[in-house]
Amino acid sequence: MILKYDLSKENLALLALPDDEEICYAVPYDIDEAGSFLDNSYVVVTHRRIVILEQGTRKNEYLLSDCEKIASEPQIDCGLLLITTGGEEWIAARFSGKHLARFSYVARGSMMFLGGNFNLVTSEEYERTCPKCHRALPGTRECPHCSKKSGGFVKEFLSMLAPYKKRLFVIAFFMTLAAVVTLLNPEIQKRLIDDVLDNAKGTLPQAYFFLGIIFCLSIGMVILNIVKAYLCAKLGSMLSMDLRAKLYHKIQILSLSFINDRRPGELMNRVVHDTARIKQFMQDVFCNMFTVLIIFIFDIIYMLILDVKLALISFIFIPIALVLSTAFKKNIHRRFHRQWQKDDDVNSSLQDVLSGMSVVKSYGKEEEEAGHFNELADSFAKINRNNEVFWALFYPALSFIMGAGVYLIIFFGGSDVLNGTKTPGELLQFINYTSMLYMYLNWLTNLPRQLMNLVNSVERINDVMSQEPRIVDRAQATDQDIKGSIEFRHATFGYRSYKPVLENINLTVKPGEMIGLVGASGTGKSTMINLIMHLYELDDGELLIDGRDIRDIRLENFHSQIGVVLQETFLFSGTILNNIKFAKPDATYEEVIRAAKMANAHDFICRTPDGYNTYVGERGFNLSGGERQRIAIARAILNNPKILILDEATASLDTESEYLIQKALSRLTAGRTTFAIAHRLSTLKDADRLVVIDGHHIAEIGTHNELMEKQGIYYGLVTAQLEMQKVQ
Amino acid sequence: MPPFGRPPMGPGHGPHPGGGEYEDFNLEQMEKETEEMLKLRYLDKDNAVFERTKGGFVSVRIGDEFYPRVQVIRMFPFSDPDKYISIRTPDEHSKEIGVIEDMKNVSKETAQMLTEQLNLRYFTPIITKIINIKDEYGYAYFDVVTDRGACRFTINMGGHAVVHLSETRILISDIDENRFEIPDITKLSARELKKLDLFL
Repeated sequence: MILKYDLSKENLALLALPDDEEICYAVPYDIDEAGSFLDNSYVVVTHRRIVILEQGTRKNEYLLSDCEKIASEPQIDCGLLLITTGGEEWIAARFSGKHLARFSYVARGSMMFLGGNFNLVTSEEYERTCPKCHRALPGTRECPHCSKKSGGFVKEFLSMLAPYKKRLFVIAFFMTLAAVVTLLNPEIQKRLIDDVLDNAKGTLPQAYFFLGIIFCLSIGMVILNIVKAYLCAKLGSMLSMDLRAKLYHKIQILSLSFINDRRPGELMNRVVHDTARIKQFMQDVFCNMFTVLIIFIFDIIYMLILDVKLALISFIFIPIALVLSTAFKKNIHRRFHRQWQKDDDVNSSLQDVLSGMSVVKSYGKEEEEAGHFNELADSFAKINRNNEVFWALFYPALSFIMGAGVYLIIFFGGSDVLNGTKTPGELLQFINYTSMLYMYLNWLTNLPRQLMNLVNSVERINDVMSQEPRIVDRAQATDQDIKGSIEFRHATFGYRSYKPVLENINLTVKPGEMIGLVGASGTGKSTMINLIMHLYELDDGELLIDGRDIRDIRLENFHSQIGVVLQETFLFSGTILNNIKFAKPDATYEEVIRAAKMANAHDFICRTPDGYNTYVGERGFNLSGGERQRIAIARAILNNPKILILDEATASLDTESEYLIQKALSRLTAGRTTFAIAHRLSTLKDADRLVVIDGHHIAEIGTHNELMEKQGIYYGLVTAQLEMQKVQ
Repeated sequence: MPPFGRPPMGPGHGPHPGGGEYEDFNLEQMEKETEEMLKLRYLDKDNAVFERTKGGFVSVRIGDEFYPRVQVIRMFPFSDPDKYISIRTPDEHSKEIGVIEDMKNVSKETAQMLTEQLNLRYFTPIITKIINIKDEYGYAYFDVVTDRGACRFTINMGGHAVVHLSETRILISDIDENRFEIPDITKLSARELKKLDLFL
C-alpha cells in the first residue's frame, strides 16, 4: 500500500521544505469539510510537522512538537484524521474508505515520531486498484494489465509451459494437421461434383473413390480431434497438477504472516480454482486456438484466390455479424447473470429457512416463510421463462443473420454458375469456405475474454510464487539437540510494523521448567508462543535456545523437537494411527500404543470399531473434543519433544475429560520445558512460574503463592474468577 | 461523579496504563453497570446541553455529568435517520450516555449541531446520475454523479455488492467498502436503468 504519493511541483512548492526536512508520508484525502468529494488534496508528514494541502492551497499545519496525539478514527464509510494539540482534538482531514487503511498506518507512523522513533512504517497490504490504469486488482501486487515489462505475461506463461516443450510440438503438429484436413475437405467435394457428378462426367468407381476420400478425411478428422483433445487435456492436467504442487509447496514454506494477511479461502482459491482455470484453458481454448487461427487465415486466403468478388461480398457481413453477435452475447450474459443471481437468492433463502427450521416452527411462522419463498421462486421462474423464450426466439434469428453472408454468396455465385463463369463444384467449395469463416469467427470473438481470465489466473499464481518466505534458514544454521533453555533478551515484536504486541521482553527459562502464561486476551500470550515456535521472527532483540540464536538452528530440525497441543485440535483426514504418527512417521506400533496410553487415549481408541485404524478427520469417525485432544497429546508425546507448548489445551472440555487430560498433560510435561496458556487459572497450578503479560510487557513473574502475596494483576484475576464461579 | 463505571474519558486517555481490566474488577460495580445498560435515558432540550468543541465535535452536559466529546449515532440509519439518535462516549467501549428520541425534542441549534456530527460520521453519497457503467472481467466500473460530487468507483461483480433495502431502494458497496445509495431506482431514466439492469 502506498504511503508516500508523489506530489506535484505546485504542491511541493506549497510545502517549501528546507533542505534538512524530508517527506515521510504523503497520502491523499478525498472529502472536504462540507462533505463533498475532493481531489488533489494531501496530508503530508515530515519529521517536524504535518501539513494539510487542499486543492492547491496550504490549508493547515501542525508542528509535531505541539501534537499530543495523532489518530485515524474510522466512521461509517469514511474516516477522520484527528490531531490533539493543547488538550483539544481537531479534525485534520476526512477521507473515504479508499484511504482508511492508509491513514491508520500514517497515524501510527506519526505517533512513532512523537515517541522519538523516526523509523518509517511500511505496509505489506496490496492496493485494491492499479494506480496506473485504475482497474481493480485481482488480489495481486502487480496489475495484470500493466504488469512490469511488456510481454511479462507471455513470458510467464511460456515459462510455465517450458517443461512441456516436446508435448507442445506434438500438439502443434496435430493442430496443423487438423487445419489442413479441414481446409482440404471442400476442395475434394468440388472435385467430386465438377469432375464426376456434373453432367454425369465420371464413372461410378470414380464417385466411390471420391466418396472414399471424403469418408477417410472425416474419419481422419475425428481421430485427429480425439488425439488432439486427449493430448491437450493431458497437458492441461499435468500443467495444473504441477502448478498446484508448486503453489502448495510455496504456501507451506511461506511465513504464517503471508497466509494470515490473505482473506480466508483466497489461497485455497488460487490453488484450486486458478490452476483449474489454466487447465480449462488448455483443454478448451489452447487445444483449438492454432487450428482455428490457421484455418481462419488460410480460409480467407483461399477465398480471395478462388474469387475476389465473392470473397469481398462475404467479408462485408463480418462486421455486421460481429456487432450482432457481441450485442447478442452481452444481452444473454445480462439475462443469465440475473437469472443466476435470482437462483442464488432462492437457494440462500431456502438454506436460511431449512437451517433455521426449529426457529421458524417454534414461532409459528411457517406460512409467512412459505409465502416469502414462493415470491422468490415465482420471480425466478418468471425470469427463467423469459430467458428461455428469448433464447428460443433470438438464437435462430441470430444464426440466420450470421448465415446471411452465405445467401448472398449463393445468389451471386449462383448467377455466375448460370452464366457459366463458375462450376457448381467451385460454388459449393466457396460456400463451404464461407460457412467455415463465420463458424470460426464466432469462436474467435470469445478469445479475448478467455485470454484475460488466463492472464488473471497466471498473475494470481505468480503473485504467490514470487513471494519470498520471510523466515528462511540462515547460511550458518545447523542442527542442534535441544536441552530446553529459552531466553528472551529485549525482545520486541509486532505483526504490523507500527503496532508492537510485545515490547522489550526479558525472560530466562531453565530446561524442564513449566511456565504458565497469564493475561487478558489480546495481550500477546499466543504471540510469545508463536515466537518460541519460530513461526515469526523478532523485530528487535534476541531469542536464544540453549544460549544460541534461534535463527541459527535449522528450522526443520528445530520444529522436530517441539510438541504442540492447541485448543482446537486439528486432526488430518486419515486414521488415528497416522494422526499420532504425524510428527514421527517411522514410529513402531509399540511406541504408538505407549504414547496413547500416556495420553489416556488408548482405552477409547480400543472402543472404536476399527481401533487404531479408525478413520477420523473431516467426514470421519466422530470423536469428542476431549478425545481429539488426547490424540493430539499422544502425537506430542510420541515425538518426545524438548519444548512443549500448550495453548488452552484444556479449555472447553467437560470435567471428566479435563481430569483425564490434566493427568496426561502432567505426564507429558515432566522434564520438558513447557509453556502453557490457560484461561482457567486453576489449570496452571502445576506451573513452576507464572508470567503475567500486560500492556505489551511482562508485568509480573513468580510462583502462584508469590504472586498472590503481591496482590497485583494475578491476584485480581484469581479473585475475579472465584467471584464469577460464585455468581454462576 | 458520573453514575457510570468509569469517569468519562477525555482525549488521550487510553486503556489503563499497566493495570489492565482486572484490577478494578468489582462484582458490585459490574452488576451496577449491567443494570445501567438496561436503562433507556431520553435526552431532550430540558435535561441536556450540547455545545460545539473548538476541534469540531460536540460536548454534552447532563446535570453534573460532563462529556467533553460524544459520538452521535443513528439507530435506524435507513428506516428512520432522524429518530432515535444515540449519544455515546467516543472510546472503544462506546457506552450510551442517552438517546434522543426525535430531533424535534431538542432545540433547533442542537438539532443543527447534531446533524453536523451525523454528517461527519456517515458518508453514503446518493447517486443522482449514472453516466456510465463498464463491466470488465468480473468488475464493474461506475462513473456517476452524487450529491457529494462526481465520482468513479469499482464494484466486484461476483459478490453481493448491490443490496436491496426495499424494492426500489438500493445500496451499492465498492471494493474499498464505500457505500453509495440510490433512494429510488424508478426515478432513474430508462437509459440509466438499462445500464444498471445487470446489478438489480
